[in-house]
Amino acid sequence: MKDQIERLVQEHLAREAQEKTRRHFIKSCAQGLGGLALSSIFMGCDPLTKQSQKSASTFSERDLNPLATLAPHYGPKVKSVIYLHMAGAPSQLEMFDYKPKLHKLDGQDCPESLLAGKKFAFIKGTPKLMGPQAEFKQEGESGNWVSDFMPHFKKVVDDVAFLKAVHTDQFNHGPAQLFMHTGSARLGRPSIGAWATYGLGSENQNLPGFVVLTSGGNTPDAGKSVWGSGFLPSVYQGVQCRSKGDPVLYLEDPDGVSRDLKKSTIDAITKINKEEYAKYADPEILARINQYEMAYRMQIAVPEVMNINNEPEHIKEMYGVEPGKESFANNCLLARKLVEDGVRFVQLFDWGWDSHGVVRSGSIDKGLRNKCTQIDRPITALIMDLKQRGLLDDTLIVWGGEFGRTPMQENRGNKKMPYKGRDHHGDAFTMWMAGGGIKKGASHGQTDDIGFSGVEGRVSVHDVHATILHLLGFDHEEYTYEFQGRPFRLTDVEGNIIKEILS
Amino acid sequence: MDVLKQLLGRLHPLIVHLPIGFIMIGLLLQWYDRKRKENNSVISIIFLWAGITATLACITGYLQYLGEGYAFDTVKWHLWSGIATALFSFLMYAKLKAIQAFDFLSKLPVIGWGIFLFILISFTGHQGGNITHGEEYLIEPLPNSIKSALGFETFEEKEISLNEANWQDALLYEDVIKPILNNKCVSCHNPKKAKGELLLNSEEGILNGGENGSVIETSKSSESELFTRLILPMDNDDHMPPEGKTQPSKEEVELVRAWIDAGSSFEKTIAESGLEKSLFISFFPKKEDFDHPNIEIVAASEEQIKVIEATGIHIDQISKSSNFLSASCINKPTFTDADFEVLLPIKEQISRIDLGQTKITDGIFSKLAKLPNLTILLLDHTAITGKNLSLLTSLEHLKSINLTSTSLKTEHLEALNKFKKLRQLYLHGTEATPQNVKLNNPKISIDFGNYQLPPIASDTIVY
Repeated sequence: MKDQIERLVQEHLAREAQEKTRRHFIKSCAQGLGGLALSSIFMGCDPLTKQSQKSASTFSERDLNPLATLAPHYGPKVKSVIYLHMAGAPSQLEMFDYKPKLHKLDGQDCPESLLAGKKFAFIKGTPKLMGPQAEFKQEGESGNWVSDFMPHFKKVVDDVAFLKAVHTDQFNHGPAQLFMHTGSARLGRPSIGAWATYGLGSENQNLPGFVVLTSGGNTPDAGKSVWGSGFLPSVYQGVQCRSKGDPVLYLEDPDGVSRDLKKSTIDAITKINKEEYAKYADPEILARINQYEMAYRMQIAVPEVMNINNEPEHIKEMYGVEPGKESFANNCLLARKLVEDGVRFVQLFDWGWDSHGVVRSGSIDKGLRNKCTQIDRPITALIMDLKQRGLLDDTLIVWGGEFGRTPMQENRGNKKMPYKGRDHHGDAFTMWMAGGGIKKGASHGQTDDIGFSGVEGRVSVHDVHATILHLLGFDHEEYTYEFQGRPFRLTDVEGNIIKEILS
Repeated sequence: MDVLKQLLGRLHPLIVHLPIGFIMIGLLLQWYDRKRKENNSVISIIFLWAGITATLACITGYLQYLGEGYAFDTVKWHLWSGIATALFSFLMYAKLKAIQAFDFLSKLPVIGWGIFLFILISFTGHQGGNITHGEEYLIEPLPNSIKSALGFETFEEKEISLNEANWQDALLYEDVIKPILNNKCVSCHNPKKAKGELLLNSEEGILNGGENGSVIETSKSSESELFTRLILPMDNDDHMPPEGKTQPSKEEVELVRAWIDAGSSFEKTIAESGLEKSLFISFFPKKEDFDHPNIEIVAASEEQIKVIEATGIHIDQISKSSNFLSASCINKPTFTDADFEVLLPIKEQISRIDLGQTKITDGIFSKLAKLPNLTILLLDHTAITGKNLSLLTSLEHLKSINLTSTSLKTEHLEALNKFKKLRQLYLHGTEATPQNVKLNNPKISIDFGNYQLPPIASDTIVY
C-alpha cells in the first residue's frame, strides 16, 4: 500500500517536471501579467469588488454580514412586507371589481372595437362577454365591493386600499410574474424582496431576510427568478422554505455530529474562505461565508419559527391551518410568525388561479370559488392577527396576481369550453395593499363598464413598486445599483408613487 | 467656394484664441519690462502677430457670419470691436517700433494703451461668447437672489404655501396659479425663449396667447388650451409640458382647471372665486407622523453604538434623514432590566425600543423614563404587570405602547390617562377587555384584540 502511494507521488512529480518547460514558464508569465491587467479593468465595473479591493484583508460589517441593517432614505412607514401572489392571475371580476353592466351584457358578442390591436393568450375570433359569476355587496364603512367568493374578507375591507385599475404589458404567466416581481419581463433583474433586503438588511441575525413560501401544488411559472437576486449579490435572493415536513431540507445534523463539532467545522471553513477572499476579492466568497454561518444559526431558529404546532388552538382555527400539509393557510400563519421575528420580506405564492375553463379546478364558477375559499379565511386572519399584535402598523401586505382576466368568456380554439373561463388580461386588474402608511378603506382607480380597461386612476406595475419602496423608506429614483456600467433601479425609468392610497 | 467659406468660418472659434493669447502675453511682458524697457523689439513682434491673427479672426468671423446666417444686429458689436482689436494691435506695434509716420502715438502713455487694449479684447471675447452660448450663459448658474440683484428677471420656483388658516384669503392667481406656471411652464414660455410665441410669466402674456391664438376661453376650461394641453395623453405631441419635462401633479392640473372655470381672475382671492377647500388640501403642510419626535437632535457616536451592539442589542438609524435610533432586543432574548444601562449613552436618540420577548420586569419602567424622546414602546410577551407604568408620564412624545401577551394588571392602566401624546395601545392576550378597561382619554385608541373568525357554512363547501 505504502509503496503504491509512493509510486503515485513519484509519477505525479515526474509529470509535473515534464510539463514545466521553459516555454511553459514564459507562457504562464504572460498570462499572469495579462490577467492582472484585465482583472483591474473588469473589476472596475463592480462596486462591491471596488470596495473590497481597497481593503482586501479588512472586512466592513456589510462584507462579513451582508444582512447588516442599513438606514433607508427617509422615514419608513413599514419594516416588513408580506407579498401574497396568486399565481395564475385571479379574476378581479369575481372578487373585487363589480361590473353590473357586464351582467346585462352576458352572452353578447364582444364589440370588435375592443378587440382591435389586442393580444390574448387563447381567445380567438369574437368571444362573448360573460357576466360576473359572483354576487357582490358593498362592505364595511368604506362601502368597497367584495364578492360572496370572499365572505370573511369583508370584515377587514376597511383595513385595505384597493387599486382597481392596475395594468401590465405582459399577457403570459412567466414574463408577467417576472415583471411583477423584478420590474422587467426578462430574466436577470433582482426581485423586490432582494432589493428590500439589499437596501435595508434584516434585523434577526438567525433568520434569512427574505423568505419564500409556496402553496397550491406548484411553484410559479417564471421559476425561482421571481425571488432571485439578479445582479445583486446572491445572498439577497429569497430563501424558499417548505411548509410541509422539514422547512429546509437537510437541516438536521447527521447522527454522531455534535453542535460543537459543527461549529468548529464552520469556523475552519470560514477561515479558509476568508483567505480565498483576500486572494481573489470575489464577493461570492463572502456570500458563501455568510451562508455557512447563517445555515448554522438557522438550524436552531428556523425549525422553531416554522413550527406552527406551538401556536394556540384558537389562532390555528382562525387561520384554518392544516398542520402537516402544504397550504396557503399554513403559509399565512408562518408569514405572521416570520414578520414577528423580524424577517424583512416574506413572499407567498399560491398556485392554481389560472381559470381558463378547461378543467373544473380551473373554472371561474367552480375552481376559482374553491381557490377563494382557500385564501379568504387565512388572509382575513392574517390581517386581524397582525392588527391585534400591533404588527400591522409595521408591515405592508400586498395582494395580487400577475395580471387580471378578460370580461369575455374564453373560447379556446374558437370552441365552447367545458367550463366557464376567462382569458389572461393585462389592461386592468385589481390589487390591494394593507398595513402601515396605507389609507384604510381607500379605493383608487376605476375600470370601464365591463372592466376591460382602466378609465381613471390607472397605475402600472412600476407604480406599485415605487409605492412599496416608498413605504419601506426608499426614494425609488435614488435607490440604484451599479451594474454593467450604469445604475439600475427596480422601477427602471418609470414609476410614480400612488399617493391616493397613502395615509 | 461656399464650402471653403463655411469651413473657414467654422475655424473662427479656434483662430480667435490666437490674438487673445498674443495680446495677453504682450501686455504681460510689457508689465515685466516696464522699468528697463529693453525688450521692446521682441514685444513689438508679439503685437505684430496679434494684429495679423486678429485680422485673420476678423475675416473668418465675417465668413462665419455670412455662412451661418446670423442677423447683423446680433454680431455687429462683436464685429466692430474685433476690427478695432486688430487695428489697435497694429498701432501698438507701430508705437513700440517708434515708426516715424505714427509719431503722434507717442503722446499717449503706453500704460493707457495697454489698459485700453485689455478692455477691448475682453469686451470682444465676451460678445463672441454671448453669440455662441447665449447671453445668460454665465448668469444661469447663479442663485436667484444674485440674478435679480444683477437686474435679470427670475422665475422663482416658489412652492405653493397654503394652510388651514390662510387658504381663503390667498390670491388665487398670485399665490396658487402663478407658482404652478412658474415651476412647470415658464422655463420655456418666457420672454427669452417664448416657445410657440406664448408667454406665461405674466398676466399680459397669458391673455395675449400664443401663435395659435388665445389659450384661455373665459370660464370654459375644456376649450382653453392652457388646460386641455395638460391632460392630453403623454404620447401626444401637443401634450404640455413636453415629455421629459417635470409634469404638474394631478392636483395642480385640477387647480388650473378650477381657476379657468371660475373666470381666470388675476385679482380675486380663493374665497371670492368660490373654490372648494378640497382642491387645496394637498398643498397644506403635511403633519409628519413619523415614529420619532418632530425635533432635530445630534447623532450618537458610532463608537457608542458599536459598544451597545456588541452586547447583542440591535440598533438602527430610523432613516438617513434622521438621527433618531431604534433599539431592538430581537437577537437578545436574554435581556434583563440590568442590561438597560448600556443604552444610556444614546438615551436622547432612542425613539423606538422593542423589548418584546425578553426577561424584563416591572423594574424596567423607571429606566424607560430616562428616554426623553421615546415615541414607540414595545413590551409584548414579557412578565411585566404594568406596575410603575405611571413613571412614563414624563415621556411627552410617547405615542404607542404594545403590551400584548404580558401579565398586565388592568388597574395599572389608570395612569395612561395622564399621557399627553399617547394614541395607540395594544392589549391583546392580556386580562384586559373592553369591560374592565375604561380610559377617559378619548384620544387613546385601544386594540383589545381577540379577534374571531367563526366558522361559516361556505368554509367547507367544495364546488
